[in-house]
Amino acid sequence: MTSQTPPKVGIIANPISARDIRRVVASANSVQVADRANIVLRALAALAACGIEDVVMMPERGGIATHVLRGMERSNAQGEARFPRLTHLAMPVTGTADDTRRAARMMREAGDIAAIIVLGGDGTHRAVVAECGSVPIAGISTGTNNAFPEHREPTITGLATGLAAMGRVPAGLAFAANKKIEVRIDGGPPEIALVDVALVTDRYVGARALWRTETFRELYVAFADPEVIGMAAIAGLVEPVSRREPGGLALTLAPAATAAMTVCAPIAPGLVTPVGVEGWRRMPAGKLFSPDMAAGAVALDGERELFFDGHQQVAITLQDAAFRTVDVAAVMAYAAREKLLLRHATPALHPVPLLAGA
Amino acid sequence: MTNNPFPLSRDDLLTAYRTMRTIRDFEERLHVEFAKGDIPGFVHLYAGEEACATGIMMHLTDIDRIASTHRGHGHCIAKGVDVHEMMGEIYGKATGCCRGKGGSMHIADLSKGMMGANGILGAGAPLICGAGLAAKFRGDGGVGLTFFGDGAANQGTVLESMNLAAIWNLPVIFVVENNGYAESTSVEYATAVDSYVDRAAGFGLPGVTVDGTDFFAVYEAAGEIIKRAREGGGPALLECKTVRFFGHFEGDAQTYKAKGENEHNRAHRDCLKLFGARVTAAGIVADADLALIDREVAALIDDAVETAKGAPLPGPRELTTDVYVSY
Repeated sequence: MTSQTPPKVGIIANPISARDIRRVVASANSVQVADRANIVLRALAALAACGIEDVVMMPERGGIATHVLRGMERSNAQGEARFPRLTHLAMPVTGTADDTRRAARMMREAGDIAAIIVLGGDGTHRAVVAECGSVPIAGISTGTNNAFPEHREPTITGLATGLAAMGRVPAGLAFAANKKIEVRIDGGPPEIALVDVALVTDRYVGARALWRTETFRELYVAFADPEVIGMAAIAGLVEPVSRREPGGLALTLAPAATAAMTVCAPIAPGLVTPVGVEGWRRMPAGKLFSPDMAAGAVALDGERELFFDGHQQVAITLQDAAFRTVDVAAVMAYAAREKLLLRHATPALHPVPLLAGA
Repeated sequence: MTNNPFPLSRDDLLTAYRTMRTIRDFEERLHVEFAKGDIPGFVHLYAGEEACATGIMMHLTDIDRIASTHRGHGHCIAKGVDVHEMMGEIYGKATGCCRGKGGSMHIADLSKGMMGANGILGAGAPLICGAGLAAKFRGDGGVGLTFFGDGAANQGTVLESMNLAAIWNLPVIFVVENNGYAESTSVEYATAVDSYVDRAAGFGLPGVTVDGTDFFAVYEAAGEIIKRAREGGGPALLECKTVRFFGHFEGDAQTYKAKGENEHNRAHRDCLKLFGARVTAAGIVADADLALIDREVAALIDDAVETAKGAPLPGPRELTTDVYVSY
């Protein structure tokens, strides 16, 4: 990106996250399309407030774009200028995760996208990271487990992304490095996880989500936060590993009835259940881990995605500093410290004691 | 079975394959036979969607009721309706399960809990609320499932039924078989928000979307939803994203589909191929087991067609029988 090119921001909003079986086997929420559209409008308004003039969005047919454009038209009709210009990528829409990957790839290749705001769960963020390269992402949680995107009002995520994209915050402070875990079967192309890789005894993808703890056998986590939900919660309650420290954690799991110990873990929203743990060890970056189990399914960030049979080799490695995210907390703290969002109509105002003259 | 990594026994896996193969061969054969002009009325073929009916119906027994659609052959077969009687019905013969008076769009067999195919879009939803209420009063753990497509999902009857099922907490499941087309109109054009889970949320019902071409995805999700309903957890919605290999009806030129769409779906989204590849790769079922079922099903369909062709038509005296019900 050259200094002459005004920065653009990309938005990838998945219309179909948060639709899986965890709405029945647990008590996961359903984020409706109208809510997702409102989140986009909040982020767009925040970006405009930071000076972003152009936003590029992934097209979809789930209804988000329709609602967003309707909201923008209404605003324009009222003479407001609350939103940046919005265009959609010229790409076919399949209604699958392929759309997310293709959009992220196109935004990376465009060369003028300073950051990508992502609406979705861990799976959506994983699909973006697989293709976005060095373009930083800012996550907004609209999925089920959401261990990766931090829970925060989207307007604030939009503000932080806008300030970072406009270069108003030093890059070293605005963007944070993140870990990821790669999984290869028989040396094939890598699949990635941003939070955790779980190996279970099923040998089919099925309804994808993990909730039958008796099938859990191995778990590899990039970070283990006791405050997150999902498979990483198991690790977080055993030995916390922060997002920013090097390396992760590898655990051996077993049915709770026979395991050496159990962890009472929130593996899905509202589903807190004992999980058997046989042991755990640190997972240094770059070190190859091969599973002990001969066959099973691989769950990436809590969803079964792949399966492997006895004759296949599975290689699991953790990578430090694999991709960048907008550090929303750091950006907003800097913005407050440096008064980036203050506007003075008159010579600088000074704080006045509330009780002056009383 | 020891070391079986699937949620079904080997025998049940073979049953699932046999059911899906029977539906497929039944429909492929009707595609051929209908073109000959011997079959009265219309037929709407279910080929491509077999995993939906089979993955769901594997969890049901005869006390459970289903309300089907105009595309109901697959639902009937998966619910256990006799294939010979079905074929006889489609040919309009006296040996049909409705004595030849219903045809393809009105096949019913109450002894199997199959309340009927239905030529009116969205008409099964109110019916299944009645079946669900009856099951609730009986207290026998029975459930009711209504099937409808992405087009009928926009019918007022469906939405009103969701509300009714919710306020009465009925053991009813709304199954959307979303094959992407309401007759010839795409979901993208005709549906404001194409997530049917959102519709369910509007009535406080949980909704789940699965890949309807993956038998195991349908089976797992349906199992949990049906179990929840049996235990008093109330209604829910299951959306199966699927494909149909043929047109809306036989004779449909399918000009609304993209070039090569059917070929792509048959190559990459064929639920039978996907299922067969998975269970054989895991070593639980052998290719020979599936080949044997293929031969047996082919013979069954051959016999059903020949028997139906040779069966008598209903006689004039039967014109007014089975038409009215006396209470």
